[in-house]
Amino acid sequence: MQEFALLASDLAWPFAIAVAWLAGEFGHRVTGLPRISIYGLIGFLFANLQGGILPVVDNNIMLLANVAFGLILFEFGYRINLHWLRTNPWIAVTGLLESVVTFIVVYFVAQAFGASMITCLLLSSLSMATSPAGVLRVINEQRSSGQVTERILHLCALNCVLSVFAFKVVVGLWLFQSSGSLWQAASSSLIQLFASAAVGALFGMMVPGILRWLGSLARDATVAFALAVILLVTLTHILNLSPVLAALTFGLMARHRRVSLSQAQRNFGALGDLLTVLLFVVATSTLEWDSVVKGAGLGLALVGARLLTKTLCVTATSQLSGITWRKGALAGLGLAPVSVFVILMVEQTRYLGLILVDELTALAAMILVLEVLGPILTQYALVWAKESQHTIEG
Amino acid sequence: MSLDPFKQSEPLTLGVELELQLVSLSDFDLTASSPDLLYLLGLKEFPGEVTPEITESMIEICTGVHTEHSGLLLQLQQIRDALVQAGDTLNVGVCGGGTHPFQSWSEQKIFSKQRFKQVSALYGYLAKQFTIFGQHVHVGCTSGDDALFLLHSLSRYVPQFIALAASSPFVQGRDTLFNSARLNSVFAFPLSGRAPFILSWDEFENDYFAKMEHTGIVKSMKDFYWDIRPKPEFGTIELRVCDTPLTVERAAALACYLQALCSYLLERRESSPTEDDYLVYNYNRFQACRFGLDGTLVHPKTYETLSLREDILTTLRKVDTHAEKLGGLAALEYLYRSVHLGSDAHYLRSQYADTGSSEGVVDAAIRRFRTGSEDGP
Repeated sequence: MQEFALLASDLAWPFAIAVAWLAGEFGHRVTGLPRISIYGLIGFLFANLQGGILPVVDNNIMLLANVAFGLILFEFGYRINLHWLRTNPWIAVTGLLESVVTFIVVYFVAQAFGASMITCLLLSSLSMATSPAGVLRVINEQRSSGQVTERILHLCALNCVLSVFAFKVVVGLWLFQSSGSLWQAASSSLIQLFASAAVGALFGMMVPGILRWLGSLARDATVAFALAVILLVTLTHILNLSPVLAALTFGLMARHRRVSLSQAQRNFGALGDLLTVLLFVVATSTLEWDSVVKGAGLGLALVGARLLTKTLCVTATSQLSGITWRKGALAGLGLAPVSVFVILMVEQTRYLGLILVDELTALAAMILVLEVLGPILTQYALVWAKESQHTIEG
Repeated sequence: MSLDPFKQSEPLTLGVELELQLVSLSDFDLTASSPDLLYLLGLKEFPGEVTPEITESMIEICTGVHTEHSGLLLQLQQIRDALVQAGDTLNVGVCGGGTHPFQSWSEQKIFSKQRFKQVSALYGYLAKQFTIFGQHVHVGCTSGDDALFLLHSLSRYVPQFIALAASSPFVQGRDTLFNSARLNSVFAFPLSGRAPFILSWDEFENDYFAKMEHTGIVKSMKDFYWDIRPKPEFGTIELRVCDTPLTVERAAALACYLQALCSYLLERRESSPTEDDYLVYNYNRFQACRFGLDGTLVHPKTYETLSLREDILTTLRKVDTHAEKLGGLAALEYLYRSVHLGSDAHYLRSQYADTGSSEGVVDAAIRRFRTGSEDGP
């Protein structure tokens, strides 16, 4: 009997992932909802039904999830044109505005619910970010293009970087408060940020260089970039740096040195698809039903406040930045997804002895709601903006 | 609906239409941005006309009616600057080139307008493969008969325009070895090719067009995808074989070369066009598409073999007094230089060799469109 239990525990992850994939394909065909929403739902159900079928997420699984996220972030960085922020400064202004206002609004909402200052600050910094994995998967699934698509991507990149920055500062502040060591606080926040970006940038210069030297760019680029991302994520994981920031910088740097993935290699092909299932199942499997219930009130309030703030801010500057009010509002709405990014950020701080998920029950509720709802909102934003393929030919 | 009567227009007046690519400046792939771009352009006065095309990653611009090179060039440059500025606001690169080097046609969206949807339903994958970009030049004619005379007299010079404008060597990420691969997509349409050999407008209208209309195959002149076609409602003939060049400067030069050539042909000093001129037509056209300026032609009257490059240089000399009278000498000088420097297709291939990627080719095309410089960025 014990052998069977062991066997079942070994089987649990592959089984959960297979079920999630099947449900994703089937659910997407029947309901038209984004696959990743369904993966997330299955992950949460598997972890929480009858006291949890899935074994606890260990370091290896977390590393795999980070690799999956790294691949998505690399591709994400690849689709960002930094030069645009200079030619149309309103994009940068919009990004800054919606991030800062979200931070402030979330802070006050959390405070109104009686949360401690540090909890308020942590919630605020994490709420700024839109999940790059969420929006990119939906955009690729819908094969959308146009201003709403383009702005969701660029605003997401901006708010992620700002969120990582704010989060690290808050964590540093907290560490300083509890340990009194300025060095520990600084090294785990700002220095870590710069080191992560530097490692990513180094990869971004080296890998295209090697590819150019090898000569056959079009053929080998995907495998080479995938391997580099795996290496980079593992390296940053071991060095306790931020894989998120490193992979994003890598993609940005590689893009600006103009070696590109071709159309067929979007999502890193089958490898990317496979790891995405794992990523979304793992992410929501870390959420516990009890936390979700306990934090439901504040969580839902935060979801509403965040959605409203982002939509209003992006709408406010839409005319100035060259699009219609309508497209501005839809771009704001499309920034809804939150899940994976925040979970990995929070998981990353575990080594510091900060078990934030336990502190932030509201976060669990918010993540669960937006894990399922966020991608759906992004999808509808693209469909309503007539930027998705399916609207025209479906 | 029968054919419009041929409207008399000022002889040798010019109008240019360019189909342009809309490319994402993030990943250099085509982007379905025409609705966004048209919205933004609509907020300000536009120095010309701009209209959506069949796929949303394409727009068409038109100039007004011009009589000489300087005016045409100025308007094209103003249009370009307006497009580039709007594109920058939206992270959209605007560029020339007959094909996009690596777009995959199955990704393209059809602009939602009734006629486009019908075309798409009729032609299936051909409509999407039609994500190709051409330059059309209108030349004013005093009568329908003049128009048909010019149309058939020009047939012998069609390969020259194909070679001078060629800018579509890459299709779906591959080097096609053609200089103008775009025209291969045009030839797939059932009503493409050359116009029937008829020299009288009366006969064309009442005999040929009326019969074709009666068959139910065509409803208007728009259904013909001929290399040169008459446009009675404008009182023009329209040359349609040119790829959209990488710069508006080359587009203006090509238009004014055509103008000078038409002026020369209207003197009627060359032997009159005959049906037999078309015996070598498809072969010559293929040579121009495949080899560009390095192609060889068979002369339709003498059957001697000519170098296409030499033939262009000879013709440039032949028409230069006409160009001078029409204020188009600068255009001829431009083309004279580019015959030596190489075509846009040649430039794109060199960019592929330098950057090693199709994205690098698109980036180079965007920069060249923006600056108009032939010296290369």
